[in-house]
Amino acid sequence: MSEPVITVRDVRRSFRSVKKEEGLKGALGLILKPQYENHEALKGISFTIESGSFVGLIGANGAGKTTLLKILSGLIPPSSGEARVLGYEPFKRAITFRQSISLVMGQKAQLWWDLPAAEAFDLIRAIYEIPMPVYRERLNTLAELLDIQKHLHTQIRRLSLGERMKMELIGAILHWPKVIFLDEPTIGLDVLAAHKLREFLRVFNQKEKATIILTSHNMDDIERLCSRVMIMRSGEMIYDGNPDGLTRKGERRLRLRLMQNPEAGELAQTIGMPVSAIDIGNGNDEAATEAAEEARTFHIHLKTEQIVPVLQSVMGKYTIIDMGIEEQSLEFVIQRLFEGTKLG
Amino acid sequence: MKTLTAYLEIFRVQFKNNFVREAVYRTNFLTSVFTDMIWMAVEFSLFKVIYANVPNLAGWSQDQVYFFLGTFFSSDAIFTIFFQRNYWAFGDLVNKGELDILLTKPVNPLFLALTRWMSLTAIFNLILGLGILIHYAGPAGFEGGWHWLLVAFWLLIGVTAASVLRFMFSIWVFWTDRGWALSRLYYQFFQIATKPDPIYPRAIRYTILTALPFAFIGSVPARALLKGLPAWEYAGVAIVLTTFFSLDALLWKRGLRRYQSASS
Amino acid sequence: MKLQWRLATLKNGLQDATAYRLEFLIQILSSALVPAAIQSVLWYAMFVLGGKTDVAGMTYAQMLHYTLTSILFTQIRGGDNDFELAEMIREGQLSNYLLRPVGVVEFVYLRGVAPKLLIAFFCLLAGMGAGWAIGITPERLVGAMFLALIGNIIHYQISASLAAAAFVWEEAYGILMVKNMIVSLLSGELLPLNLFPPSMQWIWKSAPFYLYVFGPTQYALGRWSHQEFLMQLGVSGLWLIVGWALIRMSWGLGIRRYLSLGG
Repeated sequence: MSEPVITVRDVRRSFRSVKKEEGLKGALGLILKPQYENHEALKGISFTIESGSFVGLIGANGAGKTTLLKILSGLIPPSSGEARVLGYEPFKRAITFRQSISLVMGQKAQLWWDLPAAEAFDLIRAIYEIPMPVYRERLNTLAELLDIQKHLHTQIRRLSLGERMKMELIGAILHWPKVIFLDEPTIGLDVLAAHKLREFLRVFNQKEKATIILTSHNMDDIERLCSRVMIMRSGEMIYDGNPDGLTRKGERRLRLRLMQNPEAGELAQTIGMPVSAIDIGNGNDEAATEAAEEARTFHIHLKTEQIVPVLQSVMGKYTIIDMGIEEQSLEFVIQRLFEGTKLG
Repeated sequence: MKTLTAYLEIFRVQFKNNFVREAVYRTNFLTSVFTDMIWMAVEFSLFKVIYANVPNLAGWSQDQVYFFLGTFFSSDAIFTIFFQRNYWAFGDLVNKGELDILLTKPVNPLFLALTRWMSLTAIFNLILGLGILIHYAGPAGFEGGWHWLLVAFWLLIGVTAASVLRFMFSIWVFWTDRGWALSRLYYQFFQIATKPDPIYPRAIRYTILTALPFAFIGSVPARALLKGLPAWEYAGVAIVLTTFFSLDALLWKRGLRRYQSASS
Repeated sequence: MKLQWRLATLKNGLQDATAYRLEFLIQILSSALVPAAIQSVLWYAMFVLGGKTDVAGMTYAQMLHYTLTSILFTQIRGGDNDFELAEMIREGQLSNYLLRPVGVVEFVYLRGVAPKLLIAFFCLLAGMGAGWAIGITPERLVGAMFLALIGNIIHYQISASLAAAAFVWEEAYGILMVKNMIVSLLSGELLPLNLFPPSMQWIWKSAPFYLYVFGPTQYALGRWSHQEFLMQLGVSGLWLIVGWALIRMSWGLGIRRYLSLGG
């Protein structure tokens, strides 16, 4: 299919909020002469998305990710510009449009907590008018894929966070939407649960050819799922493309542990690079940080051609205990993007 | 357009789900039944004390007032079964953004919001209220016969009135984040509805028949059933309810617009 | 210093209640005016529409005096802090308080009573200002307010003991609601208790609730002699002791159970 599922052209969104002041005078002022503040959440964004893509949307809090999702799912209108989803103008919220999309917000539950999931899904069946046999078949398939058949009749409030999120996902997918918006689906989940959820999303995207847009803080989500990444910063799109495109620009990460265990500054001086190029003890080697006596792990961010000279200068002064050359992590690259440093 | 059968099916599932939910909390059932019985007893004792001192209150005999209480309790019970909790939940809907989820569903979001919670234990109140109504119908001078059909009609009017009024007191959550203060105010005014309207001085009576039609919840229905209404009052009821309904609809639209323009 | 945390708590409670002054005012006004309006409406119906000149020995004017004066004392009777206690137990926040060197029952009371003291002060001023018109003397008003404040303590003692039901029962909420409804009838805020038929008078006399509103109003209006007032003060003293014992018992048992279940 060549026709894009989602088209966004120069979309802007500003909103005003009321300035609140304390006390009775403030309250009266609120009623009589409210003071407004204008914020720009989106500052002119354009892109298109092809059918069946899996797109990751990254950005810090307040970057405009959720605003963008809200515009695409028809909750709020853009202040200017044009958005089209499945050929519809989302904010008109045509019934047929609402039938074919789904919005999952990791922090907002749509299912009733007091009910077993099966009962809550029954409501979704009624809302989307899913024929009974189709509904049963889908529920079986989804529950099997996510491995929670045995929890379908447990009250949702008694489920673990991970199981609850799985239920939310099933609830969001039962009507077989063509476009799925996921806002922070793995928030608060442990590594294993997040992994299962991702695996499910990947399979669903491949099998059903549904277009999925996912926002996340979790780089793993993006790295493992998305064929395309969009990075936002304060309302602007600062990167849009292949996730590999971000890292494969000859950037590498050199992992080092040294017998002498020098300070980062000292090491930086030795190799003739800025301290900012060196990270100490990544989350991956928690064992190393725990034993404070042991040598720390340094991660030096550099270009391929720098590896040899850097290693030479390091070996001239220190003894290497352990080393390795790794792919640059997406997280680091994005961190840099956020800080405003363009990649060379 | 969604078909009527689809909406009926949603309503049926909501009803069933509420039943499942309440079956889990059985102690809740006993508490709420007990609380409501005490509430009814207090209202009855109040009038009992008053009628121990006077034989007649603004033309209402004791039995007639008890008939009124029966009507009022029945009307309120139906409101409680289907609406009460939904209006309390209205604030969370807007402030915690739960409305977002409803807006993406291919159904009228207000329908979903107002059918979500049902308090099925209040069915017991309804039985009790109808029992009182039937018990005092004879002594109060209710004609009976085909007039019993009118009871259903007037109870419907009572519930509609309570609902459009309560809506008016809830809708402000779109504009103020401390909307519960208004909900509390509703229940302050609600006390006025627990007395038959002819006992009120003219200014108050006029108000509760027009701008704040709390008298429609139980008092006007009971009066209509026992004594009949003059023609202009039928028109009044129709006009006031239509006005409230349209205002509610307008405010809901405005509120949604504000909700959408204020969120980021 | 033991006094210090108590003063701090009072101050904190006052700030909390008055942070939103407009709402504080609306709340006071609506909770004072609506019951009073309903009362006056009943008298209107009985005397004006019903043509009575005398009900239970009271004239229309006396009835209205009762209603107006009772507003001053309805404002003083207990607030919603018993619901707060029950919620604390149910949600498990109680544990946070048990660690502090402060009695949680007293702490919650002081927080809740702070705005009531402020209101009592204003009611006293208002009563002295407007009261002379219907012959209320300042010393009677002070005495009446004193009784009403004791009533506030008794009310809290009973409420807190009932709230302890939350230790064993998830739905203590219902009990507190029921208590509030009974209190509203038997405290005299809905009607003067002497309107009860003689055969039912024992009902309100056997509960302490009449000390909250009916008692103070009677004394302020001069319908109780000084001697009667002193006697009723004695009665309220006895209720205070009963209330204290109730709290000791219910909370002692409750907390033991709470701790044994792991807090």
